[in-house]
Amino acid sequence: MKRTWLAALALLLTGCGIQPSGVTDAGQAPTGVVPGVTLYFLGTHNQLRPQLRRTGRLATIPEAVSLLLTGPGPDDSTLHTDIAPSSTAQVIVTTTPGVIQLMVPLTINDVTPLGIDQIVCTALGAYVQGGGPKNTKVQVVFTLTTPESGKLRTCPLIT
Amino acid sequence: MLVAFVLVTVLGAAAAAWSSARSASTALVTITQQRLTQDIAGQIAAAAPELTYPPDQDSLDGLRAAVGANTLVTYQNLQSVDGTSTDLVTGALRAAVRAQSRLVTQRITASGQPWLLVGTPIMITEPDGERTPSGIDVYCVRDLADVQQQIDSITWSAVVTAALALPLAMLLALLAAGSVLRPVRKLRDTARRLAAGDLDARSPPRGADELAELTVTINEMAESVQTSMAAMRRMQAEARRFAADVSHELRTPLSTLTAVTEVLATATDGMEADARESAQMAVTETYRLVRLVEDLIEVSRFDAGTAQLRLEDVDVADAVRDCLRARGWVERVDLVTQPEIQLRLDRRRLDVIVANLVGNALRHGEPPVRAHAWADREQVWIEVTDNGPGLPQDVLPHVFDRFYKADTARTRTPGSGLGLAIALENARLHGGDLTAANACGGGARFMLRLPWKPEDA
Repeated sequence: MKRTWLAALALLLTGCGIQPSGVTDAGQAPTGVVPGVTLYFLGTHNQLRPQLRRTGRLATIPEAVSLLLTGPGPDDSTLHTDIAPSSTAQVIVTTTPGVIQLMVPLTINDVTPLGIDQIVCTALGAYVQGGGPKNTKVQVVFTLTTPESGKLRTCPLIT
Repeated sequence: MLVAFVLVTVLGAAAAAWSSARSASTALVTITQQRLTQDIAGQIAAAAPELTYPPDQDSLDGLRAAVGANTLVTYQNLQSVDGTSTDLVTGALRAAVRAQSRLVTQRITASGQPWLLVGTPIMITEPDGERTPSGIDVYCVRDLADVQQQIDSITWSAVVTAALALPLAMLLALLAAGSVLRPVRKLRDTARRLAAGDLDARSPPRGADELAELTVTINEMAESVQTSMAAMRRMQAEARRFAADVSHELRTPLSTLTAVTEVLATATDGMEADARESAQMAVTETYRLVRLVEDLIEVSRFDAGTAQLRLEDVDVADAVRDCLRARGWVERVDLVTQPEIQLRLDRRRLDVIVANLVGNALRHGEPPVRAHAWADREQVWIEVTDNGPGLPQDVLPHVFDRFYKADTARTRTPGSGLGLAIALENARLHGGDLTAANACGGGARFMLRLPWKPEDA
């Protein structure tokens, strides 16, 4: 009887300590490592085509859009851009939940709708690579007031 | 019962303390584990964009420094280690990291201390959202000793609280058990007294619970039993008194009648034959009536408890022989007696018993009739047996009943039907007993047992 009580008491006390456990899932693994940034240019048939720039690490959205604005570079003659060259490649980014707001140094006349897709896809790609959700909308704000600045856009390649 | 009450209370208190301490510690462990894991994931997510890919040793070192102490970062053949505790990382955890490509945790106990292992791969996310493992795995080991300490203190406080509450709980349990058990005990005592014949026993009901109802019911039951018992006793007493009164009232006219019949008996010689027969029948029946009334008076004396023993020193053998001689049965009965059995008893009553037993044997049984008297250390035995057909089994329990006649066809026997009843009462008056049975070879056997010392002498 006495032994039973002692055993019960011991069980009581050990039951309150930290017990070892098996391997348990604790959520999604962190992300953010990338071999390079992906920019979106236009192919020979005016279709969107990703181009990987091997930066070795993740680019921020302003960095990615700035790289896009500087053009596809001479290496790949099959790519071209529908964004007019500008003297500055400075981009201001404001990220709120669900919406990325890009302020580009361009007017609506400097880009075609395909050019806007290029900007949207590049920004969204960089955002997703950094761990952001894919269904985020992109708002491109131009320097001159235009109704196009208010639109929330998505990338046709990232759905 | 009391012990069970207390035990239940104690167990309840202990279980409550244990479960609360247990749930508190589980919650504490879970919260701590989540916080540590989220910290690590956050640090990795913050440091990952700065990481060049494919990484070199420097960038792995940078990542490891960002995550904190006791961290192991591996990429293919490269690895960056800080702290010795990273040896604790288990194979199971590594396998899970590679297989699941998700953040995983494991709690282990090493050298008496609890540890939390966190392992995760760093993922490469394509612009279209597809995730693939980068090959960089991060393993962290975190000490849970602080949590263990907190849990220990929680446990101790629970134990102390339980220990303080326990005497109080036991006291309450005792009180509660007592309040339930006390009325039950009282009720039991009352029931015992009722069973022992004390019909006045009652227990006062208290409160308005089921026990009180039970008490009231038992009281009512006792009440009704008492009432009916009283009524029955009264009726019995009345019936006996009536029989006694009737017998007494009959005695006076009967003595007159006896005197007249005796005169009549002396005058039969001069009568005609049929008149003489009628007169003789009247004489016989009158004597029979006298005997019946005497027997009835004797029985009512027994019933009233007024029968008295006139004790004297008697030689049993002589008494039995005298009894037989007085009735002229000496020739018809084999008497076997042990000599010199001196017993204090009422000679007249012994005579009544023996006469009744031997008379029955002669009347209903077959010869030879034997009377046998002997003594042992405790008592004196007188046995009367006959050689007749014996007593039928259905008659045996009733032979001592009043007015019981074994042979219903033979209604007119000289006996009153009270003889054996009176014999039994006489035996009991001496503190002895009278039993009827059948002998082995057939034939009735009556055994009279008389103790050496009558209890009420």
